[in-house]
Parts: sequence; structure tokens; C-alpha cells
Amino acid sequence: MDAPQKPVPDVNPWAKPFWEAARENKLIIQKCPDCNQHVFYPRLVCPHCFSENLEWVEASGKGTIYSYTVVKNNSPSAFINDIPYIVALIKLDEGVQMLSNIVECDPDELACDMPVEVTFEKLNDDFTLPKFRPLQT
Amino acid sequence: MGGLKGKVAIVGIGEVPTGRFPDKPAIYHAVESARLAIKDAGIDKDEIDFVMPTAAMFSFSYVGELTTARIAEELGLKNCQKNCLIFSGGSSGSTGLQMAGSMIASGTANTVLYVHSDKLGTGVTGQGGIDLFSVSGISPEWEVPYGQHYSTVAALSTTRYKYETGCTDEHFAAICVSNRKWAELNPNAFFRKPLSIEEVMESKMLSTPLRAKMSNMLFDGGSAFVVTSAERAQDLPNKPVYVLGEGGIVTHHVFCQEPDISRFGWAQAGKQAFREAGLTPDDIDVAEIYDSYPVYQLIAFEELGFCERGAGGEMFMRGDTWPGGKIPCTTDGGMLSKGHIGAGGGVSLIVEAVRQLMGKAGERQVPNARFAVETGTGGTYMDAQVTIFGTEIP
Repeated sequence: MDAPQKPVPDVNPWAKPFWEAARENKLIIQKCPDCNQHVFYPRLVCPHCFSENLEWVEASGKGTIYSYTVVKNNSPSAFINDIPYIVALIKLDEGVQMLSNIVECDPDELACDMPVEVTFEKLNDDFTLPKFRPLQT
Repeated sequence: MGGLKGKVAIVGIGEVPTGRFPDKPAIYHAVESARLAIKDAGIDKDEIDFVMPTAAMFSFSYVGELTTARIAEELGLKNCQKNCLIFSGGSSGSTGLQMAGSMIASGTANTVLYVHSDKLGTGVTGQGGIDLFSVSGISPEWEVPYGQHYSTVAALSTTRYKYETGCTDEHFAAICVSNRKWAELNPNAFFRKPLSIEEVMESKMLSTPLRAKMSNMLFDGGSAFVVTSAERAQDLPNKPVYVLGEGGIVTHHVFCQEPDISRFGWAQAGKQAFREAGLTPDDIDVAEIYDSYPVYQLIAFEELGFCERGAGGEMFMRGDTWPGGKIPCTTDGGMLSKGHIGAGGGVSLIVEAVRQLMGKAGERQVPNARFAVETGTGGTYMDAQVTIFGTEIP
């Protein structure tokens, strides 16, 4: 079956720097100068201390797989041609969690708490998605 | 929090069968469920002064009709002072009951009709249902672009839960079997043929380790209940089913923000509800636990305190939760076997808890049931809502 076009991120204005950085293969997240905690996804106010002074910092791009799944059937239409694909929750070393795909990985090698690093996949001229692959030592 | 203990009661329930009814519009299921609930309550329809519909998911235009009082008009309610849609996805029944109860306890309303119906079985196509649930409640910025949908959400929780507890896929299959044993006894359930662990394990893999028969299926249907004051309830024909305690916590909006995807907020919400009720899990005769996927039923069951974490799978496997078991669980068959009708998954569990406590559950009646707990959760398990009901006030 012909898959419809991939959904592109529906961008909040204050998250634009994240997507602009991703286009340049950089993973940036917010950090609160008042309570020193990292924040993802991008917010208007710090969810920890309610500060309005959130700043952007470059993330290490390293983390671990909190959980994962390999999609084999019944995916959303736009992803039918990607089957099998891996959806995973990543815990970044900075302490924040994000959803992504694991790439360059044999599904049989997947494990919870496995170390991963960011890599970037161009979706179209406007969007590049941060994805993750097993940590290359 | 709390404050409704013993002050309000559900006095009537109504429900239509869950299934595929291409010729019946969603409003039919709503009006028929509401009519049955009012009749069951033994009240004059014009005693209802507040109509609280909850949203349907298959159609925005139908939500518009609900918002603008179609149910009150179809039923010819002459003393409906307010009509207000309330919606928190799968926890709508729980949150709606709290709103209704609070208004009754404060004197703002006397008798509230709560109604849900949806048409997810025939109002959308099969792939349309998958696509609907790949955007509904899933962040269009942070998760939709990665192919997240409800099967992957449930699979992520299942993978982590297995990793932390050592629970096996057969345990999750056993939950589906347990719910099916109840559905076999429920004329309103869609799936009524016996199910085995082997059949679940042989069903199509969706998102590892989640298989097709571990997934709910979407249907048409509806249910309704009538809430009034404990005082008024004394004059009505049914045994009043009192709200004894409630607890709730909202933990996230985007799934990736949930700090513990194999626990969520159930322990906190459960403690709050049991404390208000003055009861413990040992006092509970029936546990109506939200079951859109087996992992969520298992997590809530354990976190509420029916057993230690990691021990629930064995209880579902050896029959503790089955008809005749020591803690009957999700006795209408749940979304896994009765069928998923949207927000109604939680509403029908309230209706079932009440049905059991009123002694009207027919073949699947749990003998002498006095206390029940019901859970609901919306979106990608964004909240944990726990309600405790009883026919007496401890």
C-alpha cells in the first residue's frame, strides 16, 4: 500500500531553536539557570522551579534506552513502509527523557538500559529528526 | 481531597451492547443508555437537572451535538438546568462522577445524568482507527513523527515492566484470558467465546511484545448512570451505591514525560481513595480495573495493593481474578473482551461496579458484593483515577 507522507513535527514557536539545531545535527535541550535542571521538551517555564529564564544548551547526545518496542504490524499509515521500526524511550545523561527511533541496530540486540548515542535523520528540507543508535565505543 | 464519602450515590445504570452497528448512529446508543439508566433509577425524567455527556472520538460534529444539549432535547428533559460536556479520555467517567458528586454534595445540582456513547467500530475504518489513535493524545511535535501510537505506548510499558519484574508474556496473556472468562458471562460483551493463553500467544505480533489479542478492539456502544444525594437515594428502588472514596493524580501529557512507565500514579491515587473510604484492598469484593492493554490492568491492580509488584501475573493465571476467584477483576470483560468504545471504557467499568453492588450482574454476579474499586485513565495513561464504591458506609 502507498504510505501517506510522513508527519512532520507540529512546531511550537518556542521550540524552534530545537528544530533549527537538529537541522544542523545538533541536539539542544533547555537548562534552567535558577535550579540547574535540564528540561525536555522545550517549555515556556521551568517545570521544576517555575523560572522563566530557561536557556538552551547542547546535550551530550548520550543516554540509555529506558524502554523499546519493534513495530511489526498495524502501524500508523505513514509508517507502513518502515516496518519493522523501533520506537524507544531514551533517558539522556542530562536526566531528561525523549521518544525516538533506534536505528543502525539489530532488533535482537536491543535491551533496556543499553547505552545509545544520538544520530540525525533528514526527514525533508525543513526537518531533521534526532534518532539514536547503539553507543559506538 | 475527597469529601464525597457517603454523600452521593449512583441510583441507576444503563448500557447497550458493545459491537458493530452500522445502522445505529452514536446518538442512539446515548439516548438508549440514558433512557435505561433513568428507568433503572425509578425517577421521573424531569428530576434530572444536569446532563453531563462525555465526548465521543469518532466524530467532531457529534461532539458538537453533545455539547449543545442534544441528549437533553432527545429525552425531553424539562428541568435540565445545565448541559456541560466533560472529557478526560478514558478517565472521563471517574472525573465526571467527581464533578457530578461535588455539585450534588454542594447543592448546586440534585440529580445528574452522565452519558457516554461512541461509534469507533463502524464510524471509522480499521486503519482509520489505528491512525486516529496515532494522533489522538499523542504529541504532534514530539511523538507522532516517530511513529508512536497506542500499541507502541503499551508495548513500551510492557517491555519495561517485564524487565523490572521478570513477568512473562504468558502472564499478560493470562490477563486477557481472565477478562474473557467474565465476558463469556456478559451479554453486552462483543467477544464471548472462550480464549486460551495459547491463542493469545499465537496471535499476530503488533509491537513487540504486544500481540493482537493483547490489544483492545474498537466498537460502538454506550452507557450511562444517574447520580443523586444519599438522602434522595433512600426513597428510590435500587440499593444505593455510595461513593466512598476517590483519589487521582495527573502524571504527564506527552508519554515520554512519564517518569515511571511501569508504575504511573496508581499507588498514590489508590492510597488516597482507600484512606478516604476507610477500607483496604482486603475489603474489596470486586476490582473493576481499566484494561485497554493487559499491562495497564496489571500495573494498577498491583499498585492499588492487591498483591506485591510482580506477583499479579500469577494471580491472573491461577484464577484468583476469574469468576469464583478471591478477587474478581474487570467483571464485564473490559476493553479487551467487552470492547473499547472510547471514553466509555472507564464509564462502563463504573456501570459494572454499580451493577455488581446492586446485585444485578446476572450470571456473573459476585455473591454478596459490598465494596468495589474502579479505575480509569485517559490519553497515554496521563492520569490515575481511583473510585471506591459501597452499599454501606464504613
